[in-house]
Amino acid sequence: MEHFAGESIFRLGILNVTNTLLNTLLTDLIIFSLVFFIAKNLKSLPNLFQSGVELIVEWFYSLTETISEKNTGKIFPYFMTFFIFILIANWTGILPGVGSIGFFEDDRLIPLFRGATTDLNTTLALALISAVATHTMSIRTIGIKDYLSRYFSFNPINLFIGALEIISEITKIISLSFRLFGNIFAGEMVLITVAGIFAFLFPIPFLLLEIIVGLVQALVFSMLTMVFMAVLSTPHGEHAKEVSH
Amino acid sequence: MELLNNFGVDPVLLIAQALNFLIIIFILKRFLYKPILEMLKKRKEEVETGLKQAEEAGRLLEDSQIKEKEILKGAKLHAQQIISDAKLQAVEEAEEIGQAARLRAQRLIEDAGRQIELSEKETEKKLAVYVSKLAIELITKSSKQLFSDKEQREIVQNALRKFKQ
Repeated sequence: MEHFAGESIFRLGILNVTNTLLNTLLTDLIIFSLVFFIAKNLKSLPNLFQSGVELIVEWFYSLTETISEKNTGKIFPYFMTFFIFILIANWTGILPGVGSIGFFEDDRLIPLFRGATTDLNTTLALALISAVATHTMSIRTIGIKDYLSRYFSFNPINLFIGALEIISEITKIISLSFRLFGNIFAGEMVLITVAGIFAFLFPIPFLLLEIIVGLVQALVFSMLTMVFMAVLSTPHGEHAKEVSH
Repeated sequence: MELLNNFGVDPVLLIAQALNFLIIIFILKRFLYKPILEMLKKRKEEVETGLKQAEEAGRLLEDSQIKEKEILKGAKLHAQQIISDAKLQAVEEAEEIGQAARLRAQRLIEDAGRQIELSEKETEKKLAVYVSKLAIELITKSSKQLFSDKEQREIVQNALRKFKQ
């Protein structure tokens, strides 16, 4: 059970700096470098790299626009940021040296870096932000009255449905965080096991699989967040009408 | 809670990760999405404007081609009119010139005829004078031995009178 948590590298006051937090900082560093490189070299006449970036951004924007036409501007930054952050965090977890370079403590290797998404703290934080942002957006878009009517009603049947909705909202947080954590953690375990059996060439297919899993999980988390945001930002009556159609 | 503890959930770490993600959202929104989306929007507008202008230019070209055809057609008709007018004028002028030339030639012929007549008369006169002189000389030379001076003079004067007649 001890292995689920990130291993502590050092303490900074009350903050326990773990190897997963260091990996998060590495992810931040990569993202910031990319962002500043792109922002600095942004030109009206794009080069191949800029064209690629524009293509990806436009694809994500169009996808958000297709799902939620009215609230694209609000939802898109969360959708794309969740995707970029989770993707880079997942992929940095399988970089050479991550999980294998560290120091020994009580005859046990403590790696300096460990995949950020193999720590429930990271995935739970992401899921909580997703949930809070979704509900805040919902209140701002449809108004507090319409928002509350989704969960509370004088009609006993609707009240029951509302209670189920509340449970489902909590479940969303659990499913989002545990799905991502479970998939990436399991992948890391598989890689460790496979590398333990035979370290040369044998882990390559599993590494390729992990690259795909990292991409898919990033896409699943971000798309689910986007869909939840789009659904909760649609007025209750309108949503009901859409469903009945 | 025990389950969360078993999974190593640390509230401080959780908050740190959440703050970290919020910072990333802010940075990406400010420095990546905003400039790229603005650029894409601007480019889209430019492309739309360009397409509209191209469409307009195409329409203008079509219009100008129609106008060009109309102008060419008009010019062709005008040119044909000018050519036919010129031909007509040329025929008229040629006739006038011909008539004038004929009149002039006739006048020249008449002048030449008159001049020939005059010179003929003059020549005749000169010839008469010359012939008289020759006759007088001949008479004088042939009558020298036969007649006296007085008779000679009378004969000559008589001859001269005859000649003059």
